[in-house]
Amino acid sequence: MSGKNEDLISCSVNGKTISVPKNTSAIKAFKIAEQDIAHYCYHPGLSVAGCCRLCMIEIEGNPRTQIACNTMVTEGMKINNQSKQIKEDVQWGLDFHLLNHPLDCPICDQAGECGLQDQYMKFGQYKPDMNQKKVKKAKVVSLGEKIVLDSERCILCSRCVRFTDEVSKTHELGIFNRGDKSEVGTFNGKELNNDYALNTVDICPVGALTSKDFRFKQRVWYLKKAEAICTGCSTGCSIYLDYNEEGFFRVRPKPNEDNNSYWMCDEGRDLYQHLNKEKRLVKVYPSKKVSTSNFAVSSSSSSSSSSSSSSSKKAIKYLKSELENIKDSTKIGVLVTGQYSVEDYKEFFSVLKEKNSINQIYHWFDQKNSKNDFDDLLIRGDKNPNTKGLLEVAKDMSLKVIDSSELKNTASNLEILIVLGPEYKKFFSTIDEKLEYFKQALQVFYFSSVKLDSLDSISNVTQIPLQSLVERGGTYINYKGLKQKLSILPQVIPKILSFSQIAKVLNGEKIQLEPLFLKTQPVKDNQFSFQKN
Amino acid sequence: MEVKILTQHYDKPEYKSLDGYKKYDGYNQLKKALTLKPDEITEMVKQAGLRGRGGAGFPAGVKWSFLPKNNKTRYLICNADEGEPGTFKDREMMDKAPHQLIEGMIISAFAIGSPKSYIYIRGEYFESKKIVEQAIKEAYENNLLGDNILKSGFSHHMDIYSGAGAYICGEETGLISSLEGKKGQPKLKPPFPAVEGYLANPTIVNNVETLASVTVIIRDGVDGYRKHGTEKSPGTKLFSVSGNVVKPGNYEVPLGYPLKDIIFNLCGGLKEGRKLKAVIPGGSSAPVLNAEEAMSVNMDYEDLASKGSMLGSGAIIVIDDSNSMVELLKVLMNFYHHESCGQCTPCREGTGWLLKLSNSILSGSANLNDVALLEKVASHMKGKTICALSDAAAFPVLSFVSKFKEEFTSYATSNVALKFQATNVQSYKRG
Repeated sequence: MSGKNEDLISCSVNGKTISVPKNTSAIKAFKIAEQDIAHYCYHPGLSVAGCCRLCMIEIEGNPRTQIACNTMVTEGMKINNQSKQIKEDVQWGLDFHLLNHPLDCPICDQAGECGLQDQYMKFGQYKPDMNQKKVKKAKVVSLGEKIVLDSERCILCSRCVRFTDEVSKTHELGIFNRGDKSEVGTFNGKELNNDYALNTVDICPVGALTSKDFRFKQRVWYLKKAEAICTGCSTGCSIYLDYNEEGFFRVRPKPNEDNNSYWMCDEGRDLYQHLNKEKRLVKVYPSKKVSTSNFAVSSSSSSSSSSSSSSSKKAIKYLKSELENIKDSTKIGVLVTGQYSVEDYKEFFSVLKEKNSINQIYHWFDQKNSKNDFDDLLIRGDKNPNTKGLLEVAKDMSLKVIDSSELKNTASNLEILIVLGPEYKKFFSTIDEKLEYFKQALQVFYFSSVKLDSLDSISNVTQIPLQSLVERGGTYINYKGLKQKLSILPQVIPKILSFSQIAKVLNGEKIQLEPLFLKTQPVKDNQFSFQKN
Repeated sequence: MEVKILTQHYDKPEYKSLDGYKKYDGYNQLKKALTLKPDEITEMVKQAGLRGRGGAGFPAGVKWSFLPKNNKTRYLICNADEGEPGTFKDREMMDKAPHQLIEGMIISAFAIGSPKSYIYIRGEYFESKKIVEQAIKEAYENNLLGDNILKSGFSHHMDIYSGAGAYICGEETGLISSLEGKKGQPKLKPPFPAVEGYLANPTIVNNVETLASVTVIIRDGVDGYRKHGTEKSPGTKLFSVSGNVVKPGNYEVPLGYPLKDIIFNLCGGLKEGRKLKAVIPGGSSAPVLNAEEAMSVNMDYEDLASKGSMLGSGAIIVIDDSNSMVELLKVLMNFYHHESCGQCTPCREGTGWLLKLSNSILSGSANLNDVALLEKVASHMKGKTICALSDAAAFPVLSFVSKFKEEFTSYATSNVALKFQATNVQSYKRG
């Protein structure tokens, strides 16, 4: 948006004079002026429906009240929503919305982040007049594999319908019947299973559409939200991660005009699972050679995770000594995926280059044929969040990048193969092929945050846990060169080494075991603590 | 006295065929119009003061002049959905004089430069549809429709499209949605149809009677047309009279004609022994008039507005003292609840609430607060929605309750309701 003055017009919102770009709707002007305005059907990423009739405003010189979402601001326009008349209209508008709403907040999954609750707190009249029987509608309707509909809670804002028509362009949803019998539903034979379907749950202002994956897992007021980026493909959508001391529970898109607009794909929503204990590699799994060596790390499965940092340290020290014994650097292989941050690569490669004269890396990239695929919305064929970053780091450090298929010829010559394994296993189709190469190398040191069960049976592989991507933080460069920094979140599994700590150990430096792990918050007297079974 | 301008030849059965129509000066106005400039016709319609006969009463010529000057295809749509309860004039016009409508449409299309028009006809009017279809076929066969009409160089095509019987599809943008193959729901305005209508092209939607009247304006000229009616409401209008009169039916009178004369002269008055209680003057959406107002009002846009009502579609529903206003209101609310498209919240939820309240008042289970609530709900539905259906439901409530307050309060305070029902009221229960 250019900042030229002729592109701006000035207007007054509730007496506050502001400048807005031309072709700004009045509702946007209210947001720019930071004035409260009630609304349900309006969504900045969708067309205007104008059906909730809550964003009523008065325009000076116009006798009729108008809706702000369908009014374009003109130079000198004076708009307000503070008059008694407008306030009464909004209060009544909310009452009309709640007329046939079941008011089942105590058992509704949306409670705590519900548009009806929020708006009513601000604008409601707290004096219900309705004493007639409510309209009965369908409940617990499965719309597909991912989403459940409760029609009684639905306020028919049509956001979900517009989303499937305008954004995903899959047209599964419609509003059926008329009047107060209207219900959202899917067209005959269709299910709401498109790649972006869960966005409808995000934009649903009430508890009508809920995600089968998330519903009933947590009350949202027990969740904190952290900003992050999705690492499911090279788009790198901005996301919110919802978490608490029990782990991560949900991924939602964070609005980002420069990248993902208001949406994200459903694939990326699995991200949180890879961050939780259940899927993580939580301790060292030593190879036969390592467990019988002087550096012996405990291999018993009963070893507690709290000792994983010291056993990781031991394993890495062992790796260091083994590396030092190899004089010919071509006998050392480094196999990396594009799933780590720029900082991770730099720290790891620089120590290997300095200490062991490594001058080449094997690039594990499984979407050679589909890397330029794009679904015209968000999903890209390159399933790595940082392919660009990896190649840039390698170039800066003058490391030769070799395709991992070359291991077919070289694996048997390798004395040590170091692997920075994939975090999103499902996108790595050649895992089995790689396992064959692992068997050919003398020793394999496999770093990953995610547990890969098929490695357990290979006797020459030592598995060393890594922090997950949100615990490591760092910079990721997406398909179009957009650099996005991931902030560091609390650790789910304590005392796992960070990349810089690993690099230090490899460099022979001493490290302090400073636990970054998430502190369990004491339960306050008036709080419930939900225990998962 | 009726003044038969539009309905002059309706008594002649052959008038609905092309030959019969031609016998009475048919299609001569089209020939005349094709020699004029399109803008001249628009100007004539404007000067004649022809106001939309469908309900809103918007000046037709002014509507035409809203068309933007661009190269997009313009569409003309004839609104023959006639859904307003009490209205049945368009049906008679199409049944008895389909060519009068078609001629008016071709002239109008020529005036606005439209190559294609649609007649959107109410789903229940299948007989009328057959008649109009036959007339369109005859017109095509005689080069009155199609390419190069009467060798004038002007081409125009016409189709007929049957609705599925929804009241809301009589609202012009709801009609356009339906015509586009979508669910019949009104569209947000702006943009107005004249700018972005059918398939996002400039579109003019006019009522059957409006378009047929264009033929008369060409025939009689501006002055001839303005000879009838009042200064601000010129011309004649068909009124559909129903309810408790001896001779219900369509009557064509000049605008400004006293309602009293329509009821007591043209329609033969009320049944013996009955007293006039109320009149709904412009279709069920128009606020009701009490007997006193009805006896003094003239049927034109201005005089009705001064009495707080409207001319609407010209459907006069006469109510005598055998009716309970509470029961009538319930019947109306049942209709609006059934016909609300469900798009805007105040209407979707409000129409159901109004029906439930009317029902509980009628059944004697309500109290005075409920009567007050009925008015409060209606007043908050007024002017809040995309189209006027919400207003149409609110107007009767507000006028019924304020003008017949005693009746409503008596239902709410005692068991008068039951007694009244037992002695006087015919049941309006469906089926």
